[in-house]
Amino acid sequence: MPEMRLLFKNIDVPGIDGIEVYEQHGGYRSLRKAVLDMTPDAVLQEVLTSNLRGRGGAGFPTGRKWSFLPKDGRTRYLVCNADESEPGTCKDQEIIYRIPHLLIEGVLASAYAIGAEDAFIYLRGEFKTGYRILERAIAEARQKGYVGENVLGSGRRVEITLYLGAGAYICGEETALLESLEGKRGNPRLKPPFPATAGLYSMPTVVNNVETLSAVVPIIEMGGAEYAKLGTERSAGTKLFSVSGNVARPGNYEVELGKVTLRELLYDIAGGPPAGHEFKAVIPGGSSVPFLTPDKFDTPLDYESLQAAGTMLGSGGVIVLDERACIVKSTLRLMEFYRHESCGKCTPCREGTMWLNQVLARIEAGEGRPGDLETLADLCSNIDGQTFCPLGDAAIGALASGLRLFHDEYEAHITKGGCPLGEVVR
Amino acid sequence: MNAENLQQAHELLHRFPKKSSALIPMLHLVEDEFGYIPEAEVQVVADLMGVTPAYVESVLTFYTLFHRQPTGKYLIQVCRGLSCQINGADDLSRFLYDELGVQRNGTTADGLFTVEEVECIALCKDAPAVQINLDFYPHMTKEQLRSFLDKAAKEVRSGA
Repeated sequence: MPEMRLLFKNIDVPGIDGIEVYEQHGGYRSLRKAVLDMTPDAVLQEVLTSNLRGRGGAGFPTGRKWSFLPKDGRTRYLVCNADESEPGTCKDQEIIYRIPHLLIEGVLASAYAIGAEDAFIYLRGEFKTGYRILERAIAEARQKGYVGENVLGSGRRVEITLYLGAGAYICGEETALLESLEGKRGNPRLKPPFPATAGLYSMPTVVNNVETLSAVVPIIEMGGAEYAKLGTERSAGTKLFSVSGNVARPGNYEVELGKVTLRELLYDIAGGPPAGHEFKAVIPGGSSVPFLTPDKFDTPLDYESLQAAGTMLGSGGVIVLDERACIVKSTLRLMEFYRHESCGKCTPCREGTMWLNQVLARIEAGEGRPGDLETLADLCSNIDGQTFCPLGDAAIGALASGLRLFHDEYEAHITKGGCPLGEVVR
Repeated sequence: MNAENLQQAHELLHRFPKKSSALIPMLHLVEDEFGYIPEAEVQVVADLMGVTPAYVESVLTFYTLFHRQPTGKYLIQVCRGLSCQINGADDLSRFLYDELGVQRNGTTADGLFTVEEVECIALCKDAPAVQINLDFYPHMTKEQLRSFLDKAAKEVRSGA
């Protein structure tokens, strides 16, 4: 089964980043349909029917998230999470930079559906160019009457405000993002209350990922029931997978969930391993999820199948390692990342990532000691489930599975006093 | 801040439903103008926001794109995310350190270049990736880096 493009349908059309070309290819038809022909509740119903699940990593049903908003007349906000920072993930970047109007249309239609007059797009600080691209797209959409005080003459107001973060992985966690959007340190909040009841400025708020909001556009166009027919019963629709690392054709690929196996994605779509090499392991859902080894490559790419195989679909960031890659060095690299990005609030995460980093560093340097592997496993179990937000669990995803799947490789680093593969990771 | 940025900073105070949100955009204005957040500007921002300088510091130190020390005219950030690392990111960093005679996070004596290794910048499919003053440079090679360094140095010399 090859790619199936809904979001990326027109991404290769020259000039699609401009509103004229975007409209010529059916752009803003979904917004017109939603605002002019449907009630907000009808749009919400279509999204519920579509079985769309959050594409940022957690996979929570989008329609249900929207329906948690209390009907109490308070101001509501829609926040788009464009803080794409999960290592191995670069799909939102491509939507923003190449087909920005798809996101703008999705944000506008979703804001209409949930009754939000103000929508915010929180971009990671590195997406400065993306900020300018979206700024221009919003200005174009305003000229056409899609954004502003009176959207398409409906009497409804929807404004979009852009916000640039400043470098902090944790701000991808939705409550940390809200803190940051309020101009504060990005420390995650205690839940409950959930953002649906007390989010941005303590008001009812929906936070959705870029890809999730973009998917609302084809859902309105084709209808929720048709969208739900794509994929599997519990994993509906299409999903973008970012394939990177040791692979012949890295890239973002959109496939129907559950209809393509990891093997098909890696070989048929992404061209297999680099010439003369063979795959060793894959992290299929961004750096926070457990490894899969080639014996599991026939796993279909959907939320349930990947979970059954011992890992997660996550953000769809597929990091591929071939036989040249050292698992110890790779998991050390990831641990350095989590240590750096831990906000420091919870002791198990703050101290745990530091110790894991130190022990892994000495093993990698050939100075590992007997008992170090037990120490690593022990540290992992002391973080697992013990932290406020998912960063703690994320930090140990790859390492805990690496220790199981590649135990001999860790062991050899200690007994041989260095990497048994030699200088493998370039 | 210069007059134009100061005006923008004042406008920021009213851009969001609540004033507190203006702080991070305001710090971006300062960082863009100076290449870092000078001590004196912390006070300026604190006064504009109606908070203490200590509060401003507590926020700005949380975010890696705000610098406490001056950075070079060109801030070169080499992505060290796993996908970039297995595609040769370490070689690019080493090349820059050797070529420029700086260490990690160091700035050249002429104030032209700062080299940092940063966490994943969401260009994994284009590894190894580098950003220079937050512009993306996908599929970077040592040769491309060398020609960038040469060109930048030449421009500065001819402009001086």
